[in-house]
Amino acid sequence: MENQSLIKIKPKKYANGEVVNVSFMVMHPMETGMRKDKKTGEIVPAQYINSVKFEYKGKVITTMNVWESLSANPVFTTYMKIDGEGELRVTYTENTGAVSQTSMKITPKG
Amino acid sequence: MQRREFFKKMGSVVAVSAVIPMMSFAEEAKKLVGPNEFSYEKALNIITSGKGATASPKVTLKAPEIAENGAVVPVTVEVESPMTESDYVKTIHIFATKNNNSRCISVHLTPANAKAMFSARIKLGSTQDVVALIEMSDGSFLSAAQSVKVTIGGCG
Repeated sequence: MENQSLIKIKPKKYANGEVVNVSFMVMHPMETGMRKDKKTGEIVPAQYINSVKFEYKGKVITTMNVWESLSANPVFTTYMKIDGEGELRVTYTENTGAVSQTSMKITPKG
Repeated sequence: MQRREFFKKMGSVVAVSAVIPMMSFAEEAKKLVGPNEFSYEKALNIITSGKGATASPKVTLKAPEIAENGAVVPVTVEVESPMTESDYVKTIHIFATKNNNSRCISVHLTPANAKAMFSARIKLGSTQDVVALIEMSDGSFLSAAQSVKVTIGGCG
């Protein structure tokens, strides 16, 4: 996979029913399509994340529509309520049509 | 004399006719710069369907007053809301009012989030206002704005 992505949950140890901070990070250039390459003088084609979707236990909890004015290597941070064991899956789509996916297993303690 | 005047006139006509298409071409080229050009007023009109939003103390928008680098400006939006099935924050929109495409991100939340907060880093082309527009589940719109001074632009 070209772009590395990561899901981070704060705090690391969480109980059932706790509200935790979830961040999703991607290594991505987020090209606007307006920048010129300094060496060749050609316009760098646009390549940015279009949409992001958070799914927890098969249920969509958050969706985002994204445009090019987000910084390179974006970090998306929201909150989420822990509700039992399950998989947290984040899917993101680029304007070129490429789709990527990252998932993380959620195991509450106590 | 007549001949001289005739050539003078001819010269000016040729010059004008050569300049006009050049100008219109330049204007067109300017318009085509941003493929996703979208002004803040237009976006606000479409999202709120002409009603507009009211500034509210429930919404807190955290952004630096002076950003040294416009390419990375951290923005945090937090909304006071119980986040229950009947009363929750539906969408958080973040706008950079003077960017070519003013829309940065629209976050659609659900009660499963339990807390209405979102943060990300955005690009700002110049000194401008950053606006957070909040759509509540009952259909009302709240907003908060802050101006950010940018020393080095981050677009282009």
